[in-house]
Amino acid sequence: MSKSNSPSLTNDSVSIYKWKLLFPLILILFVILVFPLGYSLWLAFHDFSIIDPDSNKFVGNAQFQKVLTNPMYWTVMKNTFLFVLIAVSFEVILGVLIALALSKQRILKNFTRAVILAPMFVTPIAVGLMFRFILNNQLGFIPAFLAKFNISIDFFGSNYTLLTLALIDVWQWTPFIILMILSGLESLPQDPFEAAYVEGASKLTVFLTITLPLLKPVLLVAILIRSLDALKVFEYVYAITKGGPGTSTETLQFYIHKLGFGYYRLSEAAAVSWTVVVIIMIGLIIMLKSPKKEST
Amino acid sequence: MLRKIMAFTLITFLLVGCSTSETNNSDSKTEEQITLNVLMEEVPDTDIAIEMVKSFNQENENIVLNIETLPYDQMRDKLVSSFLAPEAAYDIIVVDNPWMYDFSNAGYLEPLDDKIETSGSDYDFSDFSDSLEDIAIVNDQKFAIPFYNYATGLVYRKDVFEEQGISIPTTLKELCTVAQTLTTDEAYGIAAQPQKGYKIMEEWMNWLLAAGGALQNDNGDIILDSPEAREALKAYIDTINSSAPKNSTNWAFDEALRSVASGDSMMTLNYNWMLPTLNNPDGEAGSLAGNFALAEVPGGQAALGAWFWAISSNSEYKDEAWTFIEWISSPEQEKSRVISGGAPVRDSILDDPEVWEQGYGEEYYVTLKNILADAIPLANGPNAEELIQVVGTELNAAVTGQKTVDEAITDASNLAKEIMNE
Repeated sequence: MSKSNSPSLTNDSVSIYKWKLLFPLILILFVILVFPLGYSLWLAFHDFSIIDPDSNKFVGNAQFQKVLTNPMYWTVMKNTFLFVLIAVSFEVILGVLIALALSKQRILKNFTRAVILAPMFVTPIAVGLMFRFILNNQLGFIPAFLAKFNISIDFFGSNYTLLTLALIDVWQWTPFIILMILSGLESLPQDPFEAAYVEGASKLTVFLTITLPLLKPVLLVAILIRSLDALKVFEYVYAITKGGPGTSTETLQFYIHKLGFGYYRLSEAAAVSWTVVVIIMIGLIIMLKSPKKEST
Repeated sequence: MLRKIMAFTLITFLLVGCSTSETNNSDSKTEEQITLNVLMEEVPDTDIAIEMVKSFNQENENIVLNIETLPYDQMRDKLVSSFLAPEAAYDIIVVDNPWMYDFSNAGYLEPLDDKIETSGSDYDFSDFSDSLEDIAIVNDQKFAIPFYNYATGLVYRKDVFEEQGISIPTTLKELCTVAQTLTTDEAYGIAAQPQKGYKIMEEWMNWLLAAGGALQNDNGDIILDSPEAREALKAYIDTINSSAPKNSTNWAFDEALRSVASGDSMMTLNYNWMLPTLNNPDGEAGSLAGNFALAEVPGGQAALGAWFWAISSNSEYKDEAWTFIEWISSPEQEKSRVISGGAPVRDSILDDPEVWEQGYGEEYYVTLKNILADAIPLANGPNAEELIQVVGTELNAAVTGQKTVDEAITDASNLAKEIMNE
């Protein structure tokens, strides 16, 4: 039977059929995405407290004003971005170096990659608890090892604590960068490299002038994905420091959790959440635009 | 053939699904049997209560207790979420003292006055320690029944104190001096728990009270910004720097217990029930067990924490929930619970020679009774949880050198006032 003989394939019927197919997905998206987001936006413009639900009322943008004029919000923002900066910088540098080394590997290639990627598959709360004990001054082997050299570091109670948390993130998520860079390296064209070596270019020159520029799109996407993910850091803070010492490791997600569930102020927590949503959306727009720009 | 196998598998799954769903429905309520959902914290006192449920069921076969235990933070999150549910997720809950005002004021807890009244004189609500009773009463209504206390005391190495002829410190100044005296190359004078938030507040409150200061006055107003508070915080920081283990500014209860149990630290201001744990020959202290003793904190007024039994106001089974609470908190069961290792809440139990003999000895219970007699809750009134966390954050910032004593007390006081005015 030829297509032209089919009576059912008019434009209208195709359109209706298309929506029928999409309906279950739209329904699921509405339930799991649109409704919670909409509800949290509604909350952000109200004054809803769990311990005083009857006094709930519309307050316009008062919650956002309260949040943005609260010095604690800016401390938390600073901590979060500092965490992202430290963690992602280390991850990218280490990730690129390890990926370059692994790309040259000939034997036990798959085994090595499987071992290196393992931390990525551990749930972050377990990683937090694991490091809480590993770095504990009474029980942990790292302080015990350092003590042999008369080195004493307060990993969780000093100005280094944010760095400690960032390095835990580096331990867990450098493999992600390695994975991205490795796939990028393996898909690079070989011609420019061969030409450069024929011309007598050094390895460093080749890396800086050919490998890095060619890897730029992959690297940019990897950095953006990791940055957006690191912005959501919660588990390490929750399991290890509870935001301390003082407020030095209090991050956005921990702050939102504390406001909502600890202090019962759901509307204020929702307002902070929406500022995070806006930041992440901006990041996503940059992320989605970048590869297109590169490909044009 | 393949189609037949797939059809058979699908039908089997559907049948299993249907039967599971029926089982769940029949579980929640039948004419004969009622299931009460209970949410509790993962602590040894909960384990003791769970053990006692078997005895309860011998007398009350138709009430089944479905007890869910979670670590503190998760428990609080789940509890708060459950309050917003249209139907009761939990019939019985345990409530920490800083939550009492907020939860009862919001209408989440069932008032228990009538139920206590009908329980008769044998139940004797006035037998609960006065300081614990006071927490359970909000706006002249009783919303909860004391479950166990975690009032603080001075836990110290009796053998070392006797050997060196050191008297138990009764003032803040003496505490600092004793801590320094006990600090040697081999050991530290005091194990502190200056972790941000709750932990440092539980400990430092004792220092504040010993210095003659307070967080709130009798009306609940914030009176933290005082010379006494500055003196207490300065003494606390100086003592941590001179006499506490190195790198301990993030320590909480576990670390302090471990330090004292291992012989690294000679004393700690901590939960009174730490003593039985330390003196247990099969416990963490090993050969040091038996050398620990409990005394009142310097100054005599201790920081008080306690957990309470309460009934969710949206529970369908309030009478059945009360049947269990009344049973487990009755003088008879309280005695059995305390002998099993639970922390006491009734005065009569603290005075009972049988409890002394089968429990942890007369000295412990007599000291505990004195501690409870004038102990002061960490915080009172609205937003008490936030108050504790915020002040505890400022104190920790001072301990870790991020703020001066003056800045920390001023900021803590201002933030506390803001919280109380919200």
